Amino acid sequence: MNYLDVLSTKPDMLSPGISTCGGCAMEIALRRVLQIAGPNTVFSIPPGCAAGAGTMGWNFTNGVRIPVHISLLPNMGSMMTGVSQMYQRRGREEVNIIAFAGDGASADCGFQALSGAAERGERMLYICYDNEGYMNTGFQRSSTTTMGSLTSTTPAGSVTHGKAQAQKQLAFIMAMHRVEYVATLSPAYMKDFVDKVEKGLAASKRGFAFLHVYTPCPTGWHFAQDMAIQVARAGVKANITPLFEVEGGVWRQTVKNSRPIPVAEYAKLMKKYEGIDEETLARWQKSVDADADTLARLTK
Amino acid sequence: MKALAITGNISAALGCSLARPDLIAAYPITPQSSVVEHLALLIAEGKLDSRIVHVESEHSAMSVLSGASLAGGRTFTATSSQGLALMYEPYFRVSTLRLPVIMPIACREMTSPSSIWCGQQDAMSVREAGWIQVYVENNQEILDMVIQGYKLAEDPDILLPMNICYDGFYLSHLVERVELPEQSQVDSFLPPFKQYDAKLDPDDPMAVDPLTEGSILMQYRMSHLAAMKRALTRVEEIDREYAQVFGRSYGGLVEGYRMEDAEIALVTIGSMTGTAREAIDQARSNGVRAGLVKVRFMRPFPAEALRNILAGVKAWAVVDRSVSFGWNCGPLFVETEAAICGSDLARNSSYFSAIGGLGGTDITLDLLLGLLKKVTGNKRQNGKMETVWLDENFLGRVE
Ligand SMILES: Cc1ncc(C[n+]2csc(CCOP(=O)(O)OP(=O)(O)O)c2C)c(N)n1
Ligand code: SF4
Ligand SMILES: [Mg+2]
Repeated sequence: MNYLDVLSTKPDMLSPGISTCGGCAMEIALRRVLQIAGPNTVFSIPPGCAAGAGTMGWNFTNGVRIPVHISLLPNMGSMMTGVSQMYQRRGREEVNIIAFAGDGASADCGFQALSGAAERGERMLYICYDNEGYMNTGFQRSSTTTMGSLTSTTPAGSVTHGKAQAQKQLAFIMAMHRVEYVATLSPAYMKDFVDKVEKGLAASKRGFAFLHVYTPCPTGWHFAQDMAIQVARAGVKANITPLFEVEGGVWRQTVKNSRPIPVAEYAKLMKKYEGIDEETLARWQKSVDADADTLARLTK
Repeated sequence: MKALAITGNISAALGCSLARPDLIAAYPITPQSSVVEHLALLIAEGKLDSRIVHVESEHSAMSVLSGASLAGGRTFTATSSQGLALMYEPYFRVSTLRLPVIMPIACREMTSPSSIWCGQQDAMSVREAGWIQVYVENNQEILDMVIQGYKLAEDPDILLPMNICYDGFYLSHLVERVELPEQSQVDSFLPPFKQYDAKLDPDDPMAVDPLTEGSILMQYRMSHLAAMKRALTRVEEIDREYAQVFGRSYGGLVEGYRMEDAEIALVTIGSMTGTAREAIDQARSNGVRAGLVKVRFMRPFPAEALRNILAGVKAWAVVDRSVSFGWNCGPLFVETEAAICGSDLARNSSYFSAIGGLGGTDITLDLLLGLLKKVTGNKRQNGKMETVWLDENFLGRVE
């Protein structure tokens, strides 16, 4: 099915009125993933914006049409291992087992459980939505926060200004677990997005599938509510969030980016990099170039 | 019926295997490791049809079990000390989600100082996490309580996870005679796993654990406590049902030994009870009217059973293999004292806390005989006496 047909015909699994901030890219990703997966799904979200926005619900009401459980922050990979193992034991392999976890829950606090589940080849689709920080607890830094970012734990001061380190490349690391499928996604490239979710779902019936979705956050990054797609596209153009997939050990860049824009141009779109100095910009550009180079060699 | 000479860890594994679990997940730690090694062997040899997940930590072990239980499976893990501490987050959640997971704890000291040896500090420290906890005396009781544990935990009126706590090395690594029930007997005693409220199933979709306001949360806690209360009765009933099928009874919540006309008593928990039986026998042969109370369940706490069995005793001591850091006492003593508060027993007897066996030190027959002498000497006193530390000369004192 054409991706536009998928998005226009498949029923929405998420309540129309969940309480993410206006213009939140995570909400787009969540809605699309569930729409593509459909009702025969067991779903889990850890603490974070995706759960807090009413998806998990309040008292006796909730925001999705499918079974959903809020995992603990550090245990998504292992909790869903238990679910997946039982579905296989009962011969119900057709049920989608989907985890939707933030960067903090995936790259930091829950990294061990994620790595364990991937290494064991547990059958599930694990999606990390990356808003580059702990947004639900007030925009603190995470290991995927980009260099120079102002967060509530890397504020602007007279001694230090923003995050000093470059972001952890989670998708690279997951690919080295030799799992069934790894891909990076952006809500600005919807055809690519839908293809990868469908591939990931299929791969999750054979083993572990990992999707890394870049989800710009207007509230935490400080840009206008109608700009999330523009910011997401600029991230791809600046090589900060390159779109690729790894399947059967073969790396492929799915959206080519022959004339990248400088990271400085991307940084101008939001206040997250306000006051960033030239030296940090240069270091950041260097690290982005180095990663792009690595990716170019891997995808050759 | 087959009799085997096996360690406590193998006994726990065989009890688990007889209960036909759907899924096992565990992480190695001394002195627990051979429980899961043995289960892995049974699976490898085709003698047990269960899934086993070789997780990367205890936090994940308990998390895998929570997911499998929510997806409708009977589950098992085992751990000790640091492993238990690491899994505290999902451990607490499994009980508050009312998932009937079974987990033996091969009891071990908590670090620091660094120690791998016996002590009940690990299991005692988590007694407020909502699990049922039984503490056993020997290897036969380990196997029997794993099987009984599933029956109790999965009872629709209970639905609580349960720990079978047994002393590390003293039981985990000690070889004893254990009678192995027939699979058919266990199958008729233990019904297949059935799922009730919380579940993850697209055929019956629900949100498990939405954000919940305090007034509803309070109802959850009350319902949890009510289940604990019902467990007080179910423990006794299941003990009797088990005796009918397998011919072994442990007395339910507490077991009295030579308590009929006892004037003085020791209250014990865990493997020290075996030595204490011998000490009581020797005291009896010297004309002392001594008896023994073996406390089996810490959760739910058998307050009424303890009051009843100790009624009429003149002097008694509670022996703990761990400490309560808020008191100069052991935790079993603190709770026993709470249980007798306001009773005739509290007014008309003398009692104290004895602490020993920490970090794998032996609670020897001599120590218990000396302790009995101390208790006998208190016969004409009333009220709480100073805590005694079980070292060679009973000289240990917290100043
Ligand atoms: C063990 C543990 N530590 C801390 C928290 C508090 N906490 C809740 S959500 C959150 C941030 C999660 O960040 P991320 O996964 O990136 O999701 P986001 O909020 O950005 O959507 C934290 C730290 C927790 N729930 N559990
Ligand atoms: S803080 Fe950011 S990620 Fe969270 S709901 Fe708001 S926009 Fe979305
Ligand atoms: Mg985040």
